[in-house]
Amino acid sequence: MTTGVLMYCFNTPDMNYHRLAERCVAQIRKYLKLEITIITNLETFKKFKPMGMINYKLVDNSTTNTRPYRGKSVAWYNKERALAYEHSPYDTTILMDCDYFVFSSTLLELANTKFDMMLHDRVHDLTGKDMIMGKDEGTLPLVWATVTLFRKTTNTEAIFAMIRHVQEYYSHYRNLYRIRYINYRNDYAFAIALHQLNLGSRIPTPMTMLSDIVDVIDSDEDGIVFEYGDNINFTSGQDVHVMDKEWCNG
Amino acid sequence: MDIGNIKKHSDLNFEVAQAKKNALEKLRSRQLMAYNERLFTADANTINLVSTLKQHSKDFYVLDVNDNPCHVKDPDDFLNKLIERNQETLNAYQQLHQDLATKRK
Repeated sequence: MTTGVLMYCFNTPDMNYHRLAERCVAQIRKYLKLEITIITNLETFKKFKPMGMINYKLVDNSTTNTRPYRGKSVAWYNKERALAYEHSPYDTTILMDCDYFVFSSTLLELANTKFDMMLHDRVHDLTGKDMIMGKDEGTLPLVWATVTLFRKTTNTEAIFAMIRHVQEYYSHYRNLYRIRYINYRNDYAFAIALHQLNLGSRIPTPMTMLSDIVDVIDSDEDGIVFEYGDNINFTSGQDVHVMDKEWCNG
Repeated sequence: MDIGNIKKHSDLNFEVAQAKKNALEKLRSRQLMAYNERLFTADANTINLVSTLKQHSKDFYVLDVNDNPCHVKDPDDFLNKLIERNQETLNAYQQLHQDLATKRK
């Protein structure tokens, strides 16, 4: 049985996602010590610094989606994730956004259990301002696709087939579940697929997050220091999803 | 105490309360523990349950956090692992708690 981390990383005109991925790889090496596969495009691949043993798979990604970020609309290349089942070379995969940083071995504990697919359904905002979860975003039980653990089983194959179907007919499912957010978002596609198939397990603790209006001002391999308004705070020894996409630019 | 100092006091209390919440989330996350391919929380409830059942039987079933049954064949080993993880996380929390108490003074 093989276990590894799968990441999708595509630079956009506005964001150097490869910088986030490089940092993410360093954290995975320290805390999880797992094999890593990065799905990327040729343009982004050329920007990566040498990182030792990494499996790369180059694809032509879709470039049709956008998202709001710090008051403007930016390109968002997120549709390839629906192919993770086919792209993953592992029996057990930790599918992870490149802006999720591990500072503990908690994901290893989760990976050592029996499940088809496991992901977060709650978040914890480190600032205490609850800036992340919107109110009445839709009528379905929301999950976060930021970190998705899955095993290659018939159930999981069906989930990913359903995700691809939802992606193809997204406007229909968006209307069906009265989702406010207009653009395609993996969190919703995964949530819809799990709801339709009545499958999936939840990670029992919430995903720790920092919203995109919080700046990361310093970091080391054990944690990060962040700033919001007049406050400066830090987190260490705790995995965190950082929505500030520019902090690794230096 | 004037309103400026009250505000400072209030801000400090908010910071301390948030730091405590964050530390508790970290503690709960670190208490997640895989055992026999099932997922458990190394908290007081699980420790008490295993400790009680162990007194009645050499092996037994318990439900994990996702309500899946787990056959515990070696209760001593399981209990030791639970206690070890529980104390490891509580020691870390205790240190932070002490720091916060100092900050409040």
